Amino acid sequence: MALLDICDLNVAFTSYGQRTHVLRDVSLKIGEGQRVALIGETGSGKSVTSKAVLNTLPRNAAVEGGEMFWRGRDLLQTPDRQREALKGIEMSVVMQDPLSSFNPVFTIGRHLGDVLFWADRRSGKRRGRAERRAHIYDVLRKVQLADPERVFASYPAELSGGMRQRVLIALALMNRPAMLIADEPGTALDVTTQDEILRLLNDLVAQEGLSLLMITHNLGVVRMTADYVYVMCKGEIVEHGPLRRIFEDPQTDYCRELIEAIPPLYGARVRNQPVSTEAPLVKLEGVSKTFTRRHFLRPSEQVHAVRNVSLEIPRGEILGLAGESGSGKTTVARMVMGMMGASEGRISVDGVALADQRDGRIDRRLAQIVYQNPGTSLNPKRTVAQTLEVPLRFASNEPKARGRRIEELLERVDLPPHFAARFPHELSGGQKQRVAIARALAAEPRLIVLDEPTSALDMSVQKRVIALLEELRSELGLTYLFISHDLSLMRNFCSHIAIMLRGEIVERGTPAEVFEDQQHPYTRALISAVPVITDEEEARKPKVTQQERQKFLVSSAA
Amino acid sequence: MASGFVEFLIRRALGFIAVLLVLSMMIFALARVVPGDPARMAMGPAASAEQVQAMREQMGLDDPIVEQYVRFLRGAVQGDFGISLISGRPVTDEILRLLPATLELVIVTLLLMIVLGVPLGVLAARYRNGWADTLLRIVSMIGVTMPAFLVAILLQLFAAYYLSDWPLLGRIHQDFRSFEGPTGFYIVDGLLMGRLDIVGSALQHLAFPALALALAGIGQIMRLTRSAMIENLRRDHVQTLRSFGVPDRIVTFRYLFKLSSIAPLTIMGLEFASLIGNAFVVEMVFSWGGFASHGLESIMQNDLNAIMAVVMVSGLFFVVANLVIDILIGVIDPRIRLKEGH
Repeated sequence: MALLDICDLNVAFTSYGQRTHVLRDVSLKIGEGQRVALIGETGSGKSVTSKAVLNTLPRNAAVEGGEMFWRGRDLLQTPDRQREALKGIEMSVVMQDPLSSFNPVFTIGRHLGDVLFWADRRSGKRRGRAERRAHIYDVLRKVQLADPERVFASYPAELSGGMRQRVLIALALMNRPAMLIADEPGTALDVTTQDEILRLLNDLVAQEGLSLLMITHNLGVVRMTADYVYVMCKGEIVEHGPLRRIFEDPQTDYCRELIEAIPPLYGARVRNQPVSTEAPLVKLEGVSKTFTRRHFLRPSEQVHAVRNVSLEIPRGEILGLAGESGSGKTTVARMVMGMMGASEGRISVDGVALADQRDGRIDRRLAQIVYQNPGTSLNPKRTVAQTLEVPLRFASNEPKARGRRIEELLERVDLPPHFAARFPHELSGGQKQRVAIARALAAEPRLIVLDEPTSALDMSVQKRVIALLEELRSELGLTYLFISHDLSLMRNFCSHIAIMLRGEIVERGTPAEVFEDQQHPYTRALISAVPVITDEEEARKPKVTQQERQKFLVSSAA
Repeated sequence: MASGFVEFLIRRALGFIAVLLVLSMMIFALARVVPGDPARMAMGPAASAEQVQAMREQMGLDDPIVEQYVRFLRGAVQGDFGISLISGRPVTDEILRLLPATLELVIVTLLLMIVLGVPLGVLAARYRNGWADTLLRIVSMIGVTMPAFLVAILLQLFAAYYLSDWPLLGRIHQDFRSFEGPTGFYIVDGLLMGRLDIVGSALQHLAFPALALALAGIGQIMRLTRSAMIENLRRDHVQTLRSFGVPDRIVTFRYLFKLSSIAPLTIMGLEFASLIGNAFVVEMVFSWGGFASHGLESIMQNDLNAIMAVVMVSGLFFVVANLVIDILIGVIDPRIRLKEGH
């Protein structure tokens, strides 16, 4: 008998009188000790499925049909009180975002203690305060938090993202559940930390003999953590089967596209971007940025965000600047745009030093920027046309020509002209990012700084946006400075790569060079942490020892 | 507690001292600009020009203005604001005598604001968009928009018509007028001496003035608590606790509540300023005989020394109240304590 057996589950949401069918006849089975992955893109219904199982659906959601057996008992026929008793005891969830999953004004210990207290109450266990605390220390040790006393007494803000993710796992393990539901664990973290978390999760599942339902959009993660895969699309399970079968012989177009959208790290599908031989458009010579934190009673502190960075971007090239959070890559981008002055060194664009420019700002016709999150970088109160009009005012003076130009720009980014009248909330994520790209193009710049332009998008959307960017570059002769932490994407999209660690560039070269022969151990650690989808890629990734991995973990230090 | 927070508090305290200094300069300059000779006022219309001149010299009014200001400041720091131009008695004595009355009123008002505003806000958030929420929102809107003196007068009329035995004026029943306690706060003194009849009478007298003063604040705090609760309700950490089966009431009343108390607390500091301002009028309406109505009288009579003293003391209270609130917020929110800490 399967541990969890979902048959033809249907769920609908009602908002403002409109009913949306979000799950259609979803069937899914998880056996005892089995590792199952549920994959699909944003809005496919993965999280709704997990919430239906846990009974934490929002109030406007209704289960409209189907059965859901837990150890042979239909949960949908079980009263809420008894379902509550399963929560956190028989089945637990590992929350997605470690940064926002704790209440900032309560200690970690308070969270864990309360959860344990109420779980005990529901399962009729009796435990004293000290006993509970000892149990919590044990579980914290199990998730490899070396100093459980300190973690227990800490406020969430005192712990790094990686540590908080570990605490979230501890929370889920507290009552030795039979099944763990992991909802995109570690996606909010840096790649090396995410790798560490997935390893831990894998080990724990094996040690404790747990069943795992892994919900993710990252196929590399699936390969690491699951044996059986369900693929979801628009509320339906479109395909399911053993991991190897799904990855090597997908039956549906949707699944095939999903797999093909992932940029390869190694192998025959890898693409090399041409290297330009032209003169550099952007030149950074010995650039540093130091922030001074002033204190009132103590001496002020210096934070070296960027140290002695020298870079050249030849015309028509795509330079990738890689690194984890806090490595200084965004600071470099801001300095290139002239939004922030350099403390030391010289930045010149097209032969003109930024320091000589009026206000130290770059000419708008020279450089533009596309930000990470189009949801927040577009003004929600302005239509697409109104958004595009702002930079156009700098580019041309004729109001009449602007309308035509807006149409032209939308066509450039493959959006129909009638989108000009739409507001951002009427667009999908990919469409919004296209508008942001169009806005950058409006002033006819020569350089575009791309600050993680696809990290908020689904893989298939990312693929199309990247294709658009490539097309624009060759047609308009653009030069890109591409900031990202996604190494597999950079492998295929960049002509040169520079890798930053703590404000310094530790490695540079063409992607082919960097990925075949790493000079710096950090590069090795970084590449080896990228989740990949084929055995070939796994085999060709650089091998890193446990010590080397730990050395560069941003999180374990804090 | 992290050193960063101590540093933050010291910086705030220094900032508040600067505020008081600027306030002292402004009120001093104002006092010297208004028409009317303080010496003439002190001596009365019957005094001769020589007598007035002698008074001018005694008060140091002919000295350079900077010297006068320094003397004023030095006196103010030591709690000496000179003598009242009207009564001829030291201003400070007068204020100290009247201060407990106003403080009693203000503290009860603040308590009312918290005790009524916060739970009503939680209630409205819990049953948001329901009938209770709608009703509370309308009432709070009225509370926020109605001027305190109008509320005071309406309450007084209400009491006069419907509550025949309810006292309309003053702080205490006339039988207890001669009562003198060690602190001057009737409630505290009554409790200390075991005189519950005095406490009862004091509370009865306090009820309407305090309510009139508190109404705007209650509305304000209720709305802020409500919106903070609703905003935080959407956070992931609420979902986390629910997913592990922590009961709803614990999530709402313990976790959400503490997090949501920061916003209304912040507004209390500002609320305090309008509280003092409103107390000037409300005390007048209820013949409260406190420090605030004394300030109003001083203004009417152009008693410059008293005006300066009243303004400075009000400023001091405002600043101290805000410092206390800063500390409270630091105690509640570890992120403020930890900021720049390490």
